[in-house]
Amino acid sequence: MEDSEMSIDGTEDLLGLISGPFSSSYISPPSESAELAALMCGLIALYAVIRIILEQDVMRKLPFLNVFSFAVSGIMALLIPHPLGIIAAATYFIGSTFESNAIASTWAGGVEE
Amino acid sequence: MGRRGGGMNTLLLIFCAIALIGGLYAGFARDPYAKLIAIGIIAGGVMPLIIARGYVDVAAALALIIPLSTIFVLQLCKKGAA
Repeated sequence: MEDSEMSIDGTEDLLGLISGPFSSSYISPPSESAELAALMCGLIALYAVIRIILEQDVMRKLPFLNVFSFAVSGIMALLIPHPLGIIAAATYFIGSTFESNAIASTWAGGVEE
Repeated sequence: MGRRGGGMNTLLLIFCAIALIGGLYAGFARDPYAKLIAIGIIAGGVMPLIIARGYVDVAAALALIIPLSTIFVLQLCKKGAA
């Protein structure tokens, strides 16, 4: 009986070891205040998505796409307290701003030649 | 395994809903620019779901690949092209 419990615990430890960086001792899971801030960012993102869908003009959709991507990059920085998480959040921030600016520039006609 | 509170689950449910809303809007939108914006919503909605499992490198690679693919598609819907 005790032996089987020991083997089950060992399997869970192995699964926890390979499932992600949260199981390592280098990264602690986010605290309560970080979870609350991430939840606020999620509500802002949901509001931005609803506004994107309800707006009719493309030019009015794009600022709310920017708001949405700022909220998502804030969540990415809050959930992973690790330098690699900050790098991923900065990459998403730069890439999504670049994307929405490219859409706006192409919609407006691009550079005049 | 990390401790998952109720706030974490609510956050992940919100982003599941955002990804679903973006997918439905990409299906029903008529304007090609609105379709591209909806694809941006899908990408942003999927990103915290990847982050919450700890795959930070996958998220960084996707954050580079998705704007590049959007810009490639954007060449097709320029004014005057096709």
